[in-house]
Amino acid sequence: MAQEFTINRLETTRLIGPMVDEHWKELREAKQKGEKVAWCSGVPFIFAYAMDMKCHFMAGYSAYCAGRKAGERVLEIAENTGELPDTCSYHRLHMGMAEAVKNGIPVREDVILPIPDLMIAGRVCPEMSHYAEALYRKFGIDVVGIDLITPYQESDYPFLEKYLEQQFKEILIPKMEEVCGKPFNYERMSQILTVLKKTATLRNECLEYFKKVPSPWTLWDYGVSLAPVIYLMGKPETVPYYEKLKAELEERSKNNESAILPEEKHRVFWDGWLPWGFLGHFARKITSYGANPISGRYPWEMFPRPDLIEPELDPVRTYVKALYTGSMLGNNMAKPGLSLVSEIVPEYHIDGIIFFTAKSCRIWKSQLTVLEKMERKYGIPGVTLEADMADQKMFSEAQIDTRLNAFFEVLEARKEKKRWM
Amino acid sequence: MEEVLKRFAEISTDPYTSLIEWKEKTGKKIVGCFPMRIPEEIIHAAGMLPVVMWRGNEAVTLGHSYVHNFNCGLTRSFIDDVMRGKMDFMDGMIFYRSCLQAEEVPSTIELNAPPHHFLYLYLPPLYPGKAFGDFVIHELKRLKENVEQWSGQEITTDSLNNSIEIYNKNRSLLKKIYELRKKKPGTIKAREMLTIVHSGMLMDKEEHNRLLERLLPELEGKKETPNGKIRVVLAGSLCQTPHTVILDLIEEAGMVVVDDDIYVGSRYFANEVIPGGDPMEALADRYMKRLPPDPTMGDWKTLWTDYMVDKVKENNAQGIISLLIKYCPPHLCYYPDIRRRFDKEDIPEIMIEVEHEVVSIEQTRTRLQAFMEVIKGGA
Repeated sequence: MAQEFTINRLETTRLIGPMVDEHWKELREAKQKGEKVAWCSGVPFIFAYAMDMKCHFMAGYSAYCAGRKAGERVLEIAENTGELPDTCSYHRLHMGMAEAVKNGIPVREDVILPIPDLMIAGRVCPEMSHYAEALYRKFGIDVVGIDLITPYQESDYPFLEKYLEQQFKEILIPKMEEVCGKPFNYERMSQILTVLKKTATLRNECLEYFKKVPSPWTLWDYGVSLAPVIYLMGKPETVPYYEKLKAELEERSKNNESAILPEEKHRVFWDGWLPWGFLGHFARKITSYGANPISGRYPWEMFPRPDLIEPELDPVRTYVKALYTGSMLGNNMAKPGLSLVSEIVPEYHIDGIIFFTAKSCRIWKSQLTVLEKMERKYGIPGVTLEADMADQKMFSEAQIDTRLNAFFEVLEARKEKKRWM
Repeated sequence: MEEVLKRFAEISTDPYTSLIEWKEKTGKKIVGCFPMRIPEEIIHAAGMLPVVMWRGNEAVTLGHSYVHNFNCGLTRSFIDDVMRGKMDFMDGMIFYRSCLQAEEVPSTIELNAPPHHFLYLYLPPLYPGKAFGDFVIHELKRLKENVEQWSGQEITTDSLNNSIEIYNKNRSLLKKIYELRKKKPGTIKAREMLTIVHSGMLMDKEEHNRLLERLLPELEGKKETPNGKIRVVLAGSLCQTPHTVILDLIEEAGMVVVDDDIYVGSRYFANEVIPGGDPMEALADRYMKRLPPDPTMGDWKTLWTDYMVDKVKENNAQGIISLLIKYCPPHLCYYPDIRRRFDKEDIPEIMIEVEHEVVSIEQTRTRLQAFMEVIKGGA
């Protein structure tokens, strides 16, 4: 009989749900309290937070909505209003939600988003701009555009930082002052960055535990712990969350306790988006092979270099530096990404690579090339899984199962060969 | 006339042969530019031949190992051509990000089969704010410095002005041909018009100008044959050629194309560079033009749908055909508004999805025939 594997769940991660729920609840209730609301793609939401404006974060909301299994209904509304199925599912989710709220189409209470007073279009990818443009055309919602370029290569960081700083200072900050009717609060931005620095530093200490064999936690655990280092940025409770997490990991580590029971059989790298709409589904599938996904490029994007954040200096400049020099905006690009994956594979003792490809999102560049180069360099197998971040219609159970079966067979065979040699 | 059109068609369908021959003859370098936004004049002024990257006529084979099959036709086809060595004659390649699919190409090529010269530009969107204009200039300067190095030839104000003049002349000649088609629809087939514009992207501009100058009087002399066909406008196909077979099907169904809003069409030559001042600034000014509206450029205030409706009305057209390249994100995101707007205007509109390998001829034919019947019924 085949061995059965399960995930040894962490206690601390149970605390994340209420923190995340509270964030979205505050946003939902903001309008009733007479507060202004922004929708934001990319990371400029900190500028809204600094002005005490409630703000959504496009990818974070999409993950939340899909993770809550409410995505299907919202996507259906989008389709009924003319959205085409090949379009980015995050774009469609927002179009569907805006239509639902404007026209009173019923959707689940806990995923409702208020119609914003301002769209901050951080153009990490062009679609993150297109959704704001579309909402302007549909409902006349005010837009401010910020070109958040994903860098092609590290050598371009200096002039990209200058360009982004100019946009933040000359365009975004004046716009926030105009919308909120008060001067920009640099001090508040510094306070948010101070908390972020602490949280991200603790998070980095937690990431070190992934190097341990067996690893005391999984990428799924880290996936659900991302909000404190991104859109819950600046909330005081994010620090104790990671302190508790670190303590729990330390305890497990002392006892040599594995996150996969009864044993961690394979250590795999997970590339691309986390599949928010199917996270549990994928977790069960991967776990059934005794495999632990212990690292990935996407989760490594969230302020990986907190040492570069210097809140006591110019908060705008230090934020920009954290985004480029701090390797946050480039990991999905092939050249910076290839450097990162090359570092991670040996450091975290990776046995194989799973590249998750979202059919409606091509933000992960040259994945097939990155995969091929890693396979050659380290002699480890790789596989691509095609699905989507949120759209269930793009998920083919049989295709995923076939590919995973083949992948783990190769992985086993190579390990056997290594042992035998 | 037939001879010139034949030459254009040869270049458009097999640019590989004509470009290799041109290179052998002139000894000059060829630089591929990702479509739409790279100012070709700068490369031309450095004594090299800029050509616009194209979607080939063959099915993707080797490229499948490098790019997902849910990327658009141009990106998959171009990567495939590079991997198969069909683009080895290209000395340099210049890319930028017009969409996520476009961003897939440069790194895949640079990491697997790098050309001798390679440049990735960050051409910004048309958002409001001085920062974006400043950054256009920054990037055009970077382009200039790079191509000067590649060619070993300094770009002077005079050489750049000269290139601008040649390119402006090309735009003006193409405009004249489009005006002729508007006056006498049907005298140039849609397929022919596509190859007239497309060939100009793939050959020496002065040679293209000479051929256009030969063609123009012959076209002017051609008599209009009143045919009572349904007048339509084409729109979309944002950075690549649609299949010519689709254009044939449109005409076979009893329609005539009077104008278009496609890239390998009127969008390519819509704006001239205004000469007189600093030529680099003049090129940046052209880049910053908001018309024709470009859905890849993030300009939320200039409505593409207004422009399309105007195009239909000023041409007294009876319908519009959207050519949507499969997996084209900017067009996909805009399309629901296009559909709604034409419904509101009560102008018949049909969307034809264009895939690289597959053209469902009979299905497309049936849909186009039905579209025509709807227009006739409403007329």
